[in-house]
Amino acid sequence: MNWPPMLMHVKVKNERTDFGLWLPLFLLFPLALVVLLILSPLILVGILVMLALGQGRWVEFGFRCLWAAITSSWALRGLRVDVEGRNETVQVTVI
Amino acid sequence: MSENRKKILDMLAQGKINADEAFRLLGACGEEGQENRGHEDGGKRGPEIKTKPKYLRVTVTPGANCPDPSHADRVNVRIPMSLVRAGIKLTALIPPEALDKANTALKDKGINFDVRNIKPEDLEDLMEAMGDMQVDVESAKGETVKVFVE
Repeated sequence: MNWPPMLMHVKVKNERTDFGLWLPLFLLFPLALVVLLILSPLILVGILVMLALGQGRWVEFGFRCLWAAITSSWALRGLRVDVEGRNETVQVTVI
Repeated sequence: MSENRKKILDMLAQGKINADEAFRLLGACGEEGQENRGHEDGGKRGPEIKTKPKYLRVTVTPGANCPDPSHADRVNVRIPMSLVRAGIKLTALIPPEALDKANTALKDKGINFDVRNIKPEDLEDLMEAMGDMQVDVESAKGETVKVFVE
């Protein structure tokens, strides 16, 4: 089973700044679920209106986009980008 | 024990062949048996056991011809294959009108290719085969670009 990304580490180092930032991605999932639950009545009304107007294909497209966004973010674990320039270094790591 | 080996040992016992001949024939039987086993396994027992690639790597490093390696740019990107797969699936969201535009643009460049013919299943096969791929490019500035999977 593929686990979702838990943490993201961003590090920027140049002549003026040198900072590292740990982003707790695991906290975003419960937050997104809560937001989805709160907005679900509105989403449901929107879907019903779209279906009544004969725009069902946009509802399907919306769901497919949402699913694609979820699967893409789920697959981010293991991503690593290191760019080392002449005066600046940027590192992004998803754990 | 195979039938052939039994026959050889019978012939040796009966004195029809001597020990040297028996040894040579048994050796030949052994090689034949190993070859047959290899075919039955479909080549799985071979020394090259292919593993599924996990990451697509892109690196840019200063090459041997780089005039100033200490100040050269370096890039090291590791992309999980699961993310590449997810990206491929995103292509299903591209509207047909956009694909038509892409086809027209390709045709204008002299490339007669229909991007609608690319199916996610084909790309999956391509990714399976990517384990053997390695691209090395050395630029005029002395930078080496490597694309490979691991």
